[in-house]
Amino acid sequence: MAASPAELQDRNRRLTDLLHAIAQGRQAAFQELYQLVSPQLFAVLLRILKRKDLAEEALQDALLSVWRNAASYTAEKGAPMTWLVSICRYRALDMLRRTRREVSLDPMLDAEADEGEALSGLADDAADTAFVSKAEERALEDCMRRLNDNQRKSIRLAYVDGCTHEEIAASLESPVGTVKSWVRRGLESLKRCLEAA
Amino acid sequence: MKYEGSKLQDLLAGEYVLGLLTGAARRRFERLLMESASLRSEVADWEGRFAAWSLRLAPVAPPEYLEWRLQGRIRREANAKHGPAGPGFWRAWAVAATLLLAVMVVTERYLPEAEQKPAEMALVSDAKGQPLWLISVHPEDRRIDMKAVTSNPPPAGKSYELWMLPDSGNPVPMGLMNETGTVSESVSAELLAHLAKAKGLAISVEPQGGSPTGLPTGPVVYTAALVAS
Repeated sequence: MAASPAELQDRNRRLTDLLHAIAQGRQAAFQELYQLVSPQLFAVLLRILKRKDLAEEALQDALLSVWRNAASYTAEKGAPMTWLVSICRYRALDMLRRTRREVSLDPMLDAEADEGEALSGLADDAADTAFVSKAEERALEDCMRRLNDNQRKSIRLAYVDGCTHEEIAASLESPVGTVKSWVRRGLESLKRCLEAA
Repeated sequence: MKYEGSKLQDLLAGEYVLGLLTGAARRRFERLLMESASLRSEVADWEGRFAAWSLRLAPVAPPEYLEWRLQGRIRREANAKHGPAGPGFWRAWAVAATLLLAVMVVTERYLPEAEQKPAEMALVSDAKGQPLWLISVHPEDRRIDMKAVTSNPPPAGKSYELWMLPDSGNPVPMGLMNETGTVSESVSAELLAHLAKAKGLAISVEPQGGSPTGLPTGPVVYTAALVAS
């Protein structure tokens, strides 16, 4: 399911090599990076943007900015894949803010569903493509389990589906102010738990 | 504003990563990010904590044309970066060109003919039948050559851009056309496979430096069929 720590380390090292080569303008390195990461990034963008055309536009923008700014990657920004995912997510969130989507609540509630089953929507055998270790996955899930239902759902809807406070409030049928405090309390306990782990 | 080192700072960083800071609050936060290393590391920590959720989504392969489009864009940016500079550049270029000419003469003379032969060719002509460019595809070197047969400058402030018309989907950018001489563009193995099945080639008028969108934005002025050679 997830990558072993050794596989993950190899993969991250390879990605860092590629980013370094891209920073020097090597087009072949960009092509290899594209092959390695674009399916995962596209999945992230589709989940947030819900529309294929928007997700394509976001992926193109995000990867062009990787081509231009690969030199700005440093380990302080996290694992290379985390950095790449963040570039994509912020790009998608920008697009959402500009062209406020017509929200259909159904797809957002998937977040709830795959929280329950935890692993639905996962690749069957993602060993070759996974960029996350079991330990990391488990740490996050263990700590999420300590939050209450509403805190957990609010945080997941925001991160995975890019929902605003208002959208979360609508989908959980609660006032916006309440959602804001669920998120804050949830973040507080999540951080405490993850740092203690 | 007392953000530094506070609990509020952690929370704001978390909300920022979740995408929940909007409007003025977000702008203020991004301004602070510029000057606060501790805030940046707080953001990176949150990004790392949540990344597992992004990374366990089942991967979805994006459509193929996205890769071609991106390749066209970065190739153009790479070319622009190494493009014309000051007078020193031209002096260096003149020397390089002389050497290149010598190398070309030598290779033309000594390379076995089989290695030189392109797989496919296309002759681009104007409405009167005057040949303008000879385009040849060299799969073994993963490149295409565009040889200007007759000098044909684009309209002022514009560029001619070459497109492949794949058997399905959008045109794929192949590079800017040269006014004189021969220019080579490197192409990926995937692109070569599509070239072999392509419906043809087209040349459009684009803003100087090429289409900003990765798709043709100006009129298509020439088309040509690819013929196996």
